[in-house]
Amino acid sequence: MNIIVCMKWIPDTSEADLTVAAGAKDIKKDDLDHDINDWDRFAVEEAVQIKEKVGGKVTVVCVAPEDSEETLRECLARGADEAFQVWSDEMEGGDGYCTASILAKFIKNRDFDLVLTGTLAEDDGAGQVGGMLAAMLDIPSSTLVSKIEIHDKKASFLRELEGGLYESVETDIPCLISVATGLNEPRFVSIRAVRKVASIDIPNMGIEELGMDAGQVGQAGARLVMEEVSLPPEGEGAEIIAGKPEESAARLAEILKEKGALG
Amino acid sequence: MIKNIYVIAEQRKGSLRDITWEAVAAGKKLATDLGAELTCVLLCGKGGLIAEQLAVEVPKVLLVENPVFESTNSEAVISTLKELIKPQGSYLVVMGASNSTLDFAPGLSVALDAALATDCFSLEVKDGRLLASRQIYSYKINSVVSFKNSDRVVLTLRAGSFQFSPAGEAKGTITNEPCPIDESKLRKRFIKYVEAEKGDVDVASADIIVSIGRGIGDEPDLEMFQSLADTMGGVLACSRPIVDKNLLPKYHQVGTSGIEVKPKVYLALGISGAFQHLGGIKGSPLLIAVNKDARAPIFRVANYGIVGDLNEVVPALEEKIKSLKG
Repeated sequence: MNIIVCMKWIPDTSEADLTVAAGAKDIKKDDLDHDINDWDRFAVEEAVQIKEKVGGKVTVVCVAPEDSEETLRECLARGADEAFQVWSDEMEGGDGYCTASILAKFIKNRDFDLVLTGTLAEDDGAGQVGGMLAAMLDIPSSTLVSKIEIHDKKASFLRELEGGLYESVETDIPCLISVATGLNEPRFVSIRAVRKVASIDIPNMGIEELGMDAGQVGQAGARLVMEEVSLPPEGEGAEIIAGKPEESAARLAEILKEKGALG
Repeated sequence: MIKNIYVIAEQRKGSLRDITWEAVAAGKKLATDLGAELTCVLLCGKGGLIAEQLAVEVPKVLLVENPVFESTNSEAVISTLKELIKPQGSYLVVMGASNSTLDFAPGLSVALDAALATDCFSLEVKDGRLLASRQIYSYKINSVVSFKNSDRVVLTLRAGSFQFSPAGEAKGTITNEPCPIDESKLRKRFIKYVEAEKGDVDVASADIIVSIGRGIGDEPDLEMFQSLADTMGGVLACSRPIVDKNLLPKYHQVGTSGIEVKPKVYLALGISGAFQHLGGIKGSPLLIAVNKDARAPIFRVANYGIVGDLNEVVPALEEKIKSLKG
């Protein structure tokens, strides 16, 4: 079973204070830590677990500049067999459609059975690359997937719907599966595991190696145009109870009592 | 210029899902703004009754009936919509953002050679140009995107963002289209629906909910939160990351993929307020948020908020509640 995992390298924005960069086309990212997209960490783990069960090879690919190498190495330490970094300066400013086109070029000439991705990335929250990529590769795809079982040339799994409902689905292999978070427990990565993969080469591939031209990537290849980013207007929403923790907590308890929320 | 707007209806087990009406509302507005024709597409096992519901609100309904559409099989949906829509050359395809459309909208956009913007919370036509607003970067930043080629666009729309008022007077036509796909050739097959495991805590019907999220940290004191819930006479619930980390079972999870709740009080502790979580909170509870990130989206929807450390606020809150309850 040859498994290719598409991993995204993103700025960690979940608890950071964000500011809009000059020109208002993006946020300032210089001071933000970058990491593996959380959803993709589950995809890497799932790929390695499938490999451990049925044998095969796990290849991780990331479309991102040089700084992403550390996260690709983490994927190797998590049990992937090889990792590729795909980047050319021309790729800057691309959208999800560009990323899917690049990944399709990377995957097309390889021998693969399964492509795994996370369903969403926490930076643009679009949930689009997996489905686009599958359409470009002409293979079936599914999102929000858990409980994957691989049989002979078939994958069966659950897909999350709304309100605690799942659908049980089966697809032929090759296929693309975009996983849900929580479908496994990503393993702890020890320093020893990282050291063990320290000397593995992580090749870089650019548009030439992929056989693409500059018009297919970056802003030139994008289908969306970013007009403007902004912080949501202030002054909406909650009345903030200020003060020291015990003061604000005490005030909150009183509010709860006033509103009849303490029974 | 776009002359055709297609709204893709969403049904499950033979009933229309509410989000369809929001997509209809957005589609109608766009049809007016762009001077385009509106058509609703319904893929269904047996869809006569639902098609009639839609025809009261839209001028034209295309109905494709096939047992394969009793579920939303993304492969079947993409092939069918491609056959129906692509020959038009130029089109705007609109649908709700849901776990079902998430499965086929990206592939559909490739099949239709169209641009895609998912989970849009607002749409605008400005000087003839379509602009879509989305949230990015952990839902903390608003972005506005336009389309390089606006002749072919697919949009999915965030639930609760587009107001629908029934007009009930469209007297639309219903056209049965033959199903263009051979279902025996599908590489993806729906097997059955599966209900999530039920637990010993009934979060769905609780009046007071203390809910915890990612912000409780990597080594949280769950006892502290359970104790606050007990003191308040409520139950302990959570957002998705808590279940992902196996800290609480799935039947505690509030959200669109988890449990829908309708409490009187919802105390969100360390919950950032992602749309998928808020989508599970119905009614209008007294919503209180405690989070150390002052920019957390939860503060935009909460009634009251405290910016602070949970390990300090929660014990102080419980103590004060105990003294007030006497």
